[in-house]
Amino acid sequence: MAAGLASLRGLSVLLAALVLSGCDLGASRRAPDVGPGGGNRIDPALSGDGRLLASVLERDGQGQVIVQQQPGRGLRPLRLRRRQPHGSPSLSWNGRYLAVLVQEGAQRRAVIEDRLRGRLLRLPLPPGSQPERLSLASDGTRLAVQLLRNGRRQVEVFDLRGLLERDLPPGQAVLGGGAGQP
Amino acid sequence: MSPPRAQASCPPLVALAAAALLAAIAGCGGERPRPLVGLNRQLAGEDSSREPALAGRWLALISTREGRDRVQLVDVERNAQLPLPGLNRPDAQLLSVSVDLAGERLALVRQLEGRTELVLYQRSQGSLRQLPISPAGVPRRVQLRADGRQLAVEVSRNGLWQIDLLSLP
Repeated sequence: MAAGLASLRGLSVLLAALVLSGCDLGASRRAPDVGPGGGNRIDPALSGDGRLLASVLERDGQGQVIVQQQPGRGLRPLRLRRRQPHGSPSLSWNGRYLAVLVQEGAQRRAVIEDRLRGRLLRLPLPPGSQPERLSLASDGTRLAVQLLRNGRRQVEVFDLRGLLERDLPPGQAVLGGGAGQP
Repeated sequence: MSPPRAQASCPPLVALAAAALLAAIAGCGGERPRPLVGLNRQLAGEDSSREPALAGRWLALISTREGRDRVQLVDVERNAQLPLPGLNRPDAQLLSVSVDLAGERLALVRQLEGRTELVLYQRSQGSLRQLPISPAGVPRRVQLRADGRQLAVEVSRNGLWQIDLLSLP
């Protein structure tokens, strides 16, 4: 009898655990530290495959974009060390492309770093407008830009085909474009 | 006899130079981002739009009209806006939005009745649920991973901005 009660109690504990885990929204963790000194970490952006996390580290009044391998691994090198403050990073699927806002003199500019080829592409934007936020499509075919123009905020989307090669998940073919293909 | 030969070779040279110039111009044209005119015109119809988030064919953003914020989800390939029943509230101020690659999940940060909250919306179900932030903090910006199974959230704690990574079932 006692053994039966004990097993019933065990079963109810197990059921309660299962119910609770079913309600759980998942684990939360802090993005890994980036060395001594601390500072604000803002503008998180995950690559499409989730292996990389870009963010802006604010130290001494400057913002520098950093790219970290997940989970909790080291920093990936970037060409963008100058032209600070950086802002609004956005990564493509494998993290080949990093779109980010940089400062060049008095101008805020949108650039894309091709981390595979080590190139930095400047994106000409409509004159009289200042870019404030960026979002790069994970395959690198489009870029959405929040522009400030005449005191008004406006999102505009740009087609980057012909400018960037596509950054696709491994094994995913680019459709079309071949002989006899649409 | 040589001058006539030179004259005869001039037209091909000129043609070659013109072709090279055209190719150069075409090359330059290919290196400029091309605006999606129809979509941009549609977005310009709002009082303002901000916080864009692209994922595949989907563009999520916050637009404001007559002082009210709302989340919009646009199919960029069809240039069509999708309905988001149960998501937008006239009394909410929106801070950030993100969408997954399937266009199924949207994460957003909003201020409602004095509180700032992180919520997840599932389009096929029209369901909305608040996501807890632990340890407690105030969220500002959010980004969903392409598969919608992880969130990166900018959170203010003890006077410092930090980034939390939240796994979703």
